Amino acid sequence: MSKLTDQEKKVLQALIEGIPLVSRPYAEIGQRLGLAEEEVIRIIQGLLERRVIRRLGATLRHNLAGYEGNAMVAWQVPEERVEEVGRGLAEKPFVSHCYVRECFPDWPYNLYTMCHAKSMEELKRLIEETAKELGLTEYQILATKQEIRRKHARYHL
Amino acid sequence: MRPKKEDFEKLYRDLLTLIQEEFPLHPQPFKVLGEKVGLTEEEVLSFLRGLKEKGILRHLGASPDSHKLDHFTCLCAVELPEDKLNLAYEIAELPEVTHAYLRDHKLNFWFTLVLPRENDLTPYLEKLSQTYGLKFYAFPAKKKFKVRAVFSL
Repeated sequence: MSKLTDQEKKVLQALIEGIPLVSRPYAEIGQRLGLAEEEVIRIIQGLLERRVIRRLGATLRHNLAGYEGNAMVAWQVPEERVEEVGRGLAEKPFVSHCYVRECFPDWPYNLYTMCHAKSMEELKRLIEETAKELGLTEYQILATKQEIRRKHARYHL
Repeated sequence: MRPKKEDFEKLYRDLLTLIQEEFPLHPQPFKVLGEKVGLTEEEVLSFLRGLKEKGILRHLGASPDSHKLDHFTCLCAVELPEDKLNLAYEIAELPEVTHAYLRDHKLNFWFTLVLPRENDLTPYLEKLSQTYGLKFYAFPAKKKFKVRAVFSL
């Protein structure tokens, strides 16, 4: 539940927009919002503790950070193995995201992973190895051709 | 003693690995980060400013848990015919779309929607279908095993 105070909403919005690259960023955010530096820090602390903020930090463009091979892999996993396979996939370092999703008769894939490697060849090798290790035969590799958009949501706070 | 020139590259890589995971809640966070890897505050700031200009540093800030903010996210996909690929760019511009990718597959356009409520999804996709005359798939998440990894550099 989003029981956020107005101050928390304002600070969160500022942090979603981005931390300014200045020596005292919390003071600068505070100045914009009419809050003291230590109030801003205290509010962020609270949002982190309640896990409203999942992560505070940097997001890098991975293909520019040396990750040229990027793909979503959709796996078809028998219902009774979802838990085990999901954990197995999630612990792979090349997997950044792992979700169970609803599937359709014409699209029977229920586990999804975002996968990254230095090159597409390396990525395919990692995926094949993992498939073999976990005994998975039905999967689709959906290589990233182009990233059109990646931004933070416009939340209605 | 300051490190040799060739060691600097490693310090900057350490910084990038670190800053993906944590950002200090200290009045001078860039100074704290610098101290951890062996760089000055000014070196950290000018390095990050450079990365931001080049588009490598995409975002420095908070990643909220959309669920905790009472918002609903959903992965969606549509098969765009070759002569309609331009629609991907149009759909990607919708305010509710946060991520959009062209993928090497028959089902070639994938995007993420963030909506205020789960109930908004069906009418939203129905409207898209009517507008574009295409079949949109929705793949709502049922369980999350892993939400993100840090890239070691």
